[in-house]
Order: sequence, then structure tokens, then C-alpha cells
Amino acid sequence: MSKIIRTLLVIALLVGAVILVAGCSSSQQPAQKPTAAPAATEAPAATEAPAATEAPAATEAPAPTEAPAEPAKSAEPKTIIYGLYQEPDVLNPFIATQYAADEVSKMVVEGLVDVDPDGNFYPVLAEEVPTIENGLVSEDGLNVTYHIKKGVVWSDGEPFTCDDVKYTWEIVTTPESGAVNTSGYDKIEAVTCDDPNTVQIKFKEFYAPYLTLFDSVLPKHATEGATDMTTWEYNTTGLLGTGPFVLRDWESGDHITLVKNENYRDYPDMPKADQIIVRIIPSREVGKALITSGEIDILWDLSEADVPEFEENPDVVVHKRPGPGAERLLLNLADPTLDATDDPLNHPHPLLADLRVREAIQYGIDKQLIVDELLYGATTVGTSELSIGWAKCDIPPSEYNPDKARELLDEAGFKDEDGDGVRECHGCKYAEEGAPLKLKIQTTSGNQLREECEQLLVEMMKDIGVQFYIENVPSSELFGSWSSGAFRKHGNFDILMYTTSERIDPQSHMYGYFHKNSIPTEANNGKGFNYVRWINDRASEALDKAGATPNLEDRKAQYQIACEEIAHDIPHLYLYDRSEIELTRSNIKGFKVNPWGRQTWNVEEWDKE
Amino acid sequence: MAQYILRRLLYSIPLLILISIIVFFLISLAPGGPMSAFEENPNLTPEDIVRLEEEFGLNQPIYVRYWKWASRIIVGDWGYSNVTHQPVLQEIAHRLPNTLQLMLVAFLITLLIAIPIGLYSALHQYSLFDHIATFFAFVGQAIPIFWFGLILIIIFNVWLNNPISPHHGFAWSHFTDCADCKPLLPGGGMAPYGVDDPTLWQRIKHMILPVTMLAMFGMGTYTRYMRGQTLEVIYQDYIRTARSKGLPERLVVMRHAFKNALAPVVTIIALDLPGLFGGALFTETIFSWPGMGRLFYRSAQRGDYPLLMGIVMINAVLIIAFNLLADLSYAYLDPRIRYD
Repeated sequence: MSKIIRTLLVIALLVGAVILVAGCSSSQQPAQKPTAAPAATEAPAATEAPAATEAPAATEAPAPTEAPAEPAKSAEPKTIIYGLYQEPDVLNPFIATQYAADEVSKMVVEGLVDVDPDGNFYPVLAEEVPTIENGLVSEDGLNVTYHIKKGVVWSDGEPFTCDDVKYTWEIVTTPESGAVNTSGYDKIEAVTCDDPNTVQIKFKEFYAPYLTLFDSVLPKHATEGATDMTTWEYNTTGLLGTGPFVLRDWESGDHITLVKNENYRDYPDMPKADQIIVRIIPSREVGKALITSGEIDILWDLSEADVPEFEENPDVVVHKRPGPGAERLLLNLADPTLDATDDPLNHPHPLLADLRVREAIQYGIDKQLIVDELLYGATTVGTSELSIGWAKCDIPPSEYNPDKARELLDEAGFKDEDGDGVRECHGCKYAEEGAPLKLKIQTTSGNQLREECEQLLVEMMKDIGVQFYIENVPSSELFGSWSSGAFRKHGNFDILMYTTSERIDPQSHMYGYFHKNSIPTEANNGKGFNYVRWINDRASEALDKAGATPNLEDRKAQYQIACEEIAHDIPHLYLYDRSEIELTRSNIKGFKVNPWGRQTWNVEEWDKE
Repeated sequence: MAQYILRRLLYSIPLLILISIIVFFLISLAPGGPMSAFEENPNLTPEDIVRLEEEFGLNQPIYVRYWKWASRIIVGDWGYSNVTHQPVLQEIAHRLPNTLQLMLVAFLITLLIAIPIGLYSALHQYSLFDHIATFFAFVGQAIPIFWFGLILIIIFNVWLNNPISPHHGFAWSHFTDCADCKPLLPGGGMAPYGVDDPTLWQRIKHMILPVTMLAMFGMGTYTRYMRGQTLEVIYQDYIRTARSKGLPERLVVMRHAFKNALAPVVTIIALDLPGLFGGALFTETIFSWPGMGRLFYRSAQRGDYPLLMGIVMINAVLIIAFNLLADLSYAYLDPRIRYD
């Protein structure tokens, strides 16, 4: 009997330990910067929280010193709950690599200019966007001036000045600062502050996407000291900005609470909401269930396949806009058995290097069918790399013509003489006699849409006598690094399928993917995104010119040339354009989808009825 | 006995070293890594990516990287996460209480329900109760746990409402048909959002669905364990002796059969305990529970070596410790077993 009792006692002790642990683990309140905290804690204390000790005195006592005529606070703060499926790791915009982290930091941190959903730059902290026309940009593009709006202060009350912008540049370009994206900042020769509201930037050489720099600014007074940003408290709980909200608390992996910034330049009209709670909901299915039941108000980043089930639902609104990304096939032009060759002309891919084969593959794909069947017609057929934006290319959609495909393959020397349904090389240009027209297609595993797309492609290719076989890999393997031996970087593949997209300024993306100097090799340490090893002089020249002038008209013309060469040579075969899709409850107003940036770009306008 | 324990502890040291070497090399050999997170980001140029690879020290040979990690952890420096730059121990310490809270409660409920059911089932073998219990045990083991969690959310969060509403009071019709009613049970998280100091009842409400999901599977398993062990015991001679001596059935069962049937089950419980620290990835994903499972999965996906090694080493230590505990508890419960 005693042994049983003892065993049960042990179990009971464990239970007691659990309850103790449960009682003690509360949300970690960050070491609050004293200035932001008093204003912030007043809001939730005024809610129904029964156990909160300061509840009785809530409405009067912690009245913040800096808000004199505080309007009578309603019992419940207006809270909007935003569901993300990815948990942000760090919020410092210069270290973060995730979109989810930027969604959160954009509510707190602002920059000089930003991009609106139509793809136009608009001023945020600057008075106007610098252009050649208004004289704030020199003719050669090397000198850019920003006038900062008057009276802007950080949320802790300190004034925002040119020194903060200069400091941002200095930190980002300090070696080993941990900054992830330094391109462009390293082309700046000097940032001069003649007066606190005027920023003068001088570039060493022309950097075409200059307006994308300083889309976030670091607070000098709060972070100076250590130059290694990875040690900063700013990255997590110490995030400080001029934006409409301030970070109140962050429960790692669970939720992030933001409350309105009373030092925001448009306060008290903006922000319209009192509180934004970012909830981490790792399963998209659960996210969709929660927005249906109303437990969350906004759900981030859905796909075209999620749209139909919400079209009939009166409580949920689907916000959709075409985005810059396109799902495409990358067709390797170099010999896949070689490790990172930089000479595709002498080591061509035995099957894909022949242009007629690539053209045939494109003629054999019914892109409209893919869009209609898999994407419910919710997007458009892919035509070019730059499908929207100021630099949009004008390329007609490809034709679906399986007969023409078969003709081209016959011409290219691929015929099916052994009757197995797959063509072999009989007099083809590069492959050995008798080699079958068999190609490996790879994409990220675990993605239902992509798997279905691959199945359709396999069927379509079978129809013209080409065999695609599928070998999917996890996305961390597909997008792996040069040093980890990733096959994409080293050129060991036939066909890859995934989405990539450019920023509002396409230069670095276009150059990285399509310039002949962007082939990753041993010599340049795997730098470059030209995985298919495409060499086209006319396109490369056009991209050089596009990056050398601030004149947008000229640049657009050059990109058109590059797009035409891509459409002709088909190193990338565009399947369909991607859309940016978000869901909100129908009582949420002011939400506007932004395919060029983060969805929280106008968070100050979000309202809940 | 003390010698035995000492010997086991000494053996565990080279075992831990071996485990750390094998895991480190396996992780390094697996494709992917921290860079893959950066690759898809259009903000980064090729120059950035090369520079980052250097900063992460990824172009150094494996044994150099292993040695760096091992030499630091020996002195207690568990390192910093590659991804969040927070100390590894701090990251783990944030998540571990959440995981323990959920797993221990679920485990306890599993045992409290499964063991009596298993015992009763065995004592009344082939009765209606036995058939029903066995059937549900199989169902519990067979149901895909991920799907079950989603179903729970759909039923209790989307379909069913809280029949008590501040505006209309209580009404049965509010269960399903009430425009501004709140859902019956929350669909995730540990506590209601925006509330600074959640009450115990609020925390419990948030635990109901995930605990149900977790317990479902365990109940099936433990019911069958207990039933099997009890069946083995009640046909033994000493049970027949006890009955023929005239002992009331209650004493025969509780004092003799139950104790002996429980001993192997306790061993299995002790072996399952380290698993509680690992969290439950599916449950945490479905119910947005910030626990160790998701931490482990996230660090594996993003190649966050320091954090991954930290979690693995903790798990290794726990497994070794609980294995020892299981062996010792068995010796404690069954006097016939002796170690030397």
C-alpha cells in the first residue's frame, strides 16, 4: 500500500510543480523605457482585467503627464488583432530578414519615404519625395536632399533630426555591425547635416534605387554606443520609432502588443485604433477558422486557393492586388553535371541549351488552364519579370500550341523512335545520340499548389513527348547557401519552379538574376542569382544602362529591352503572376493591401467599427 | 546500489559527448542552414549574402565549428541564437514553462483516466465496457492528431458560441445562433490577448482544447498498457491464493493486482517523461502555444545551430537521467530486482 501511495505522491508533487510553474510564468514585461511605459499602461488597465491591482485607480491615477486634455477614455480600448503565421525573430529593420518582422516594425519605425500600393513613392518623414524636377536630386543623381517635416519627435519625446539619419548610415556601413542589407549604403560618400531638418546625401557612384534607402531610421540617442547591432535591446523590446504605435510587450512566439504613440505627429486624430495585437498563428488553416469566428480581425498572407471559400462569407472581406512576383520555371542552360561552371557556351545543357527545346516546352504549357484550375482564375498568366510597377514590361502572353511544340522538337532532332512516348536525340545539337528527353523538375516540398502544378506540367509535357520527373526538396535545401553546396547555386539541376519578385526598384533584382556577370562561381564565392547561367550581351548591356541613369523613362526603355531578350531566349519561363492577398473582418476599415511593401504601411488608418 | 548509480552516471559522460558529436555533424551535413532564410529576401543583394556567410562562420570546416561550440558549452556558455541573437538558455527558459504546463497537465489527465479504465477493462474482460473502452483506445491511437485539433477548433470556436452573453444573458439558442456572441472556447494562445493579468479560469479555458488533443492519443496507449499488464497479473497464482484465503475482492485488486500491474507501467511513464520537455509540435502549431516543439522546429528549419544544439543536449541529458530513474523505480517497486 505504501509504495502505491508513494508513487501517487510523486505524481501529485509533479502536478503541484506544474501549477506553480503555471502560476509563475506570466508574460515577460520588457524592461520598459520609462518614457513610453506610463502612457501605455493606462490603456489596458482601464479594461475589465479583474486581478489587476491598479484597476480601481486606473481611470485617474496613472494619467500620463504629457496628455493634458485626455478625452474621456471608453472602457475598452479599440483593439485590432492581426494574425501572422511566422514569428518575428528580431524587429530591428536592419537585421531582420523576415517579412513578418517588417510587418511589426513598420508600425513603430518610419523612414524618409515609402511606397504606396500603386507603386509610387510618397513622403513619410520627409516633406516631399526628392526628384530631379523639384531640384532635390542633382542631374547626375549623385546628390540627394531630403527636407524633414518640422516637429517630428521620437516616441520617447526626443526630437528627430538629420543626425539620426547620418547615424543610421554610419552604423549600417560599420563592418560587423550585423546589418543584413548594406547595398546602397556603401555607395554613399557622405551624409551632411547643415541644419537639423535637412539631410544631404552624396553618393560615390550612382545608385539607381536611392529612394529605397532610409526606409527606416535608427534612433541615435537610444542606441549609440555598441556598434554590433546584434547586442542591442532595440532588436526586441527596446524598439523605438516615430511611427503611430509603440511596442508595449512581446511574449516570444505568442503575441506582440502595440499601443498608440501619443507623440505621433498626427496624434490624436491618428492612429485610429488604440491597440494592435499581433498574434502568431502558425497554422494557416487555424488562422482561417479564427477569422471566420471573429477571434482575429486581420489575417496575413494567403494564397489564391484560399479565396473561394470566403467569397460568400459576409463577415470576411478578401483584399487582393496583383503583386510583383511571378511563379516561374528556371531552365538551366549549362551542363548540370558540372560544379558551378561559368562557361555555359562551351558546356551547354545537353537538352535545354537548344532554344527550340525551350520554345517547345513553352508552347506545350497551357498557362491559362493552370490559372483557371489551380488558382480559380484569381490571377493572370505570367508574361515577364516586371509585370507591374513603373518599369512594367510590355510582353504579350505566350501561345499554347502543342502542334508547334512537336514541330520544333522534331526540328531540334528529338524524335520518338522506340515508341515509349518519350522523344530521344536523333541528330540533336548537344546531347548524345539516343539520350531521352527527360528532365528533372524541382520545387519546394509540402506545397500543395506547387505539387498540383507539377502534375499538370508532367501531363502537358507527356502530350508533346517530353518526360518531366519530379524531385521536390524542402525549401531550406532549395534556397540553401553556396557554402552548404546548394544545388541551385552550383547549377546542378534541370528545371526549378518557385516564385521570386523584385522590389519597387527592380535594378538589383534584374541585375542579379539576368546579367552575365551574376553567375555564381567558385571565383566570386557564389555571388549572384543567375543560376541558369544565361549569357546575353544585349540584355546585359541594357541592364548596365538601366542602372546608370536617374532618368526613369530611359531606365524603363532599357528594362523593356531586357524583358524582350528574356522572352526570346526563355531562361525563365513565366507561369503565373502572384497576388498579394489578405483577409479582414468586414468591420475593419482603412485597410489597403500593398503589394510593394508591408501591409502595415498605413496602420494609422486602420479602424474597427 | 550506490555503486551502480555512480557507474551509470560515469557512463553517461562519454555518451553525451558522443551524442553531441553525432548530432552536430548530422545538422551540418543536412542541406539548408541559416542562409536559406536570407535567399528569398529581395532586399538582399548577392554581395550581402556572401558577406553574411562569412559572418556566420559557415565557410570554416566542420571540426573547427564543432570545437568552437564544444569548448564554450563546457564552461557553461551555451551561446546565442543565430537568428534572434538572444542567449540560448534564455530562449529555452522562456518556452520551457509553457511546454511543461501543457504537457504535464495533459499527461496527468491521460493517466488519471486511462489507468482506471484499463484496470476495470481487464477485470471485466470481454464485457461491454471492455469492448467499448478498447474500441475508443484504438480510435484514439488511429485518429490523425493534426486533423483532430482542427476539428476541435472548428466545433468549439467557429460553430459553438458562448451561451452566456453580457447583452442577452443565458440562452441555449446562443450556442449556435448568436451574431455578436463570443466563441465557446478560445482557438489558441495561452491566455486572452490584451489582458495583463489573466485569471486562473481564463488560463484553464485556453488549455481545455490543447489538453484534449494531446490526451486523446495518450489515453489510447495507456489504457491498453494498463489493461495488458493487469490481465497478465490477475491470472497469476498468488492472486488465486489471495482469493481463496477469503480476502475481499477490493483488497485482492487494490493491494495485490494493481500494485504489480502498475510497476511496468510506471517504468513506461518514467521513459515518457523526457518527451514532455520536448513539447508537442502539432498541438503547439494548431493552438498557437509558444512551446519547445515549435522552438525546436523553427531552429531546425532555419539552421539555428546554437539553439538546436542547446535543445538537443538538454533532451539528451533528460533522457539519460529519466532512463536511470526508470530503472531505479522498477527496482524500488519490485524487490526481486537487484542491481550490482
